[in-house]
Amino acid sequence: MRTKNENLVEYIKNPDVVLREEDIDGALLFNPDTNQIKVLNTTGLFIWKLCEKKHNIGNIIKALKNSFDQVPDDKASEQVKSFINEMKESGFIGIIKDQKE
Amino acid sequence: MKAKNSFHIIPTPKSVSISITGKCNLKCKYCFYANEMEGLKDLSTEQWLSFFKKLKDLNVMDVSLTGGEAFIRPDLFELIDGIISNNMRYNILSNGTLINENILKKFENGKRRLRLDYIQISIDGSCAEIHNKSRPNSFDRAIKGLKLLKENNFPLAVRTTINKHNLDDLENIAKLLLEDIGVSSFGNNESMPIGSGCRNEASMSLTNKEKLEAMRIIEKLLKRYPGRLNAQAGPQAKLKMYAEMEHAKKTGEKPKTWQMGYLTACGCVFSKIDILHDGTIVPCCMLPGLKLGNILTDSIKDIWQNNKIMWDIRNRRKIPMKEVPGCENCEWNEYCNGSCPGMAHQLTGDFNRANPEDCYREFKKETGGIDAL
Ligand code: SF4
Repeated sequence: MRTKNENLVEYIKNPDVVLREEDIDGALLFNPDTNQIKVLNTTGLFIWKLCEKKHNIGNIIKALKNSFDQVPDDKASEQVKSFINEMKESGFIGIIKDQKE
Repeated sequence: MKAKNSFHIIPTPKSVSISITGKCNLKCKYCFYANEMEGLKDLSTEQWLSFFKKLKDLNVMDVSLTGGEAFIRPDLFELIDGIISNNMRYNILSNGTLINENILKKFENGKRRLRLDYIQISIDGSCAEIHNKSRPNSFDRAIKGLKLLKENNFPLAVRTTINKHNLDDLENIAKLLLEDIGVSSFGNNESMPIGSGCRNEASMSLTNKEKLEAMRIIEKLLKRYPGRLNAQAGPQAKLKMYAEMEHAKKTGEKPKTWQMGYLTACGCVFSKIDILHDGTIVPCCMLPGLKLGNILTDSIKDIWQNNKIMWDIRNRRKIPMKEVPGCENCEWNEYCNGSCPGMAHQLTGDFNRANPEDCYREFKKETGGIDAL
């Protein structure tokens, strides 16, 4: 469920992370601080590229829907949130703003 | 021009191995880099730093710093910081003799320790008398460096190069490293006839009978220290490969981890590229004569994607062993992979041959093969 102040949190990529686009249908991220590698599919890669600039979850979902066909309304939000959360936990992206209402 | 039906390759190398200096404080008897060390000039700090920026643009993930002796460069930590600020990790291959408390303190700055994968030290004997035969006048300092790294919990790799002098000392070396000093594991390979190892071949390189003896000792050590000896080349690696060849010939079952029957031995040219200390770009430090360009004037990306020699080495794996000169009538050609292209080039002048040093037919003829173990 999206909380009321959720869109006040903005995400941006960790500038140290290396993106390697090795195939047409995906890419991998490498965090040189942790030596961790994450494989991205096309959607993941799209979100990663969005995070070049700061974005909140709402913006990310909107951009996804604009660029990909058949993004299911209900599932998309949960999937994006869980992806972003996983990326944040493993240090690939960071939070730029987290103001409480 | 790329050869037809080329393989899919990643757009840029993942790793780059860089000889940052041609200077060394030792003169080891099997140094594969000995010929390149004479005559070529080291690049400056600025030249390396601007190269690291280019590596960032290529999304390179890690660099290996070798030499000569990497710790001889007074600007080593400036170079390391350049690697870090360009988002890469690194490792250092060293003889260990210049490592002291002062040097270790310098690793504590910034992300120098965080981004370090390992420092590799070479130890060739359990005592000065044996170690110094291949690595002159260096045992005490190398062991001191190794112990300092271990005591300070640095990520470590230890390498023993098996040669005529230390074959009978292998068990003592394993005890020294694994029990007395307490490293988790150590790697081994063998002295090869390349660089100074070529000039000293008679006194350094193992004969096939000695290789068999090394295999026998390693088998024993692996029972005593399971999983704590490892090898990419040399007797331990060959023992595994030959055993798989014998098994495949007897049962028809081929291994899943490598392809038999073709010149498939080397995967390096699919993921990494090497740079000599004057900036010369080569496919591998074992092929230092195949100069592909220089980092001061040429694009690594262009060489990686388009250079003919790079593609010829990659395409080597399409050549069936039964078409390799000298291997046509060999009963093992369905099971062999021809081994290292660098040594094949060094010993035959052609990387599209098999490496004679690792030929199982010859080995079996002289020793009875691994069944004799
Ligand atoms: S001659 Fe030697 S290198 Fe050639 S296929 Fe036979 S065993 Fe392999």
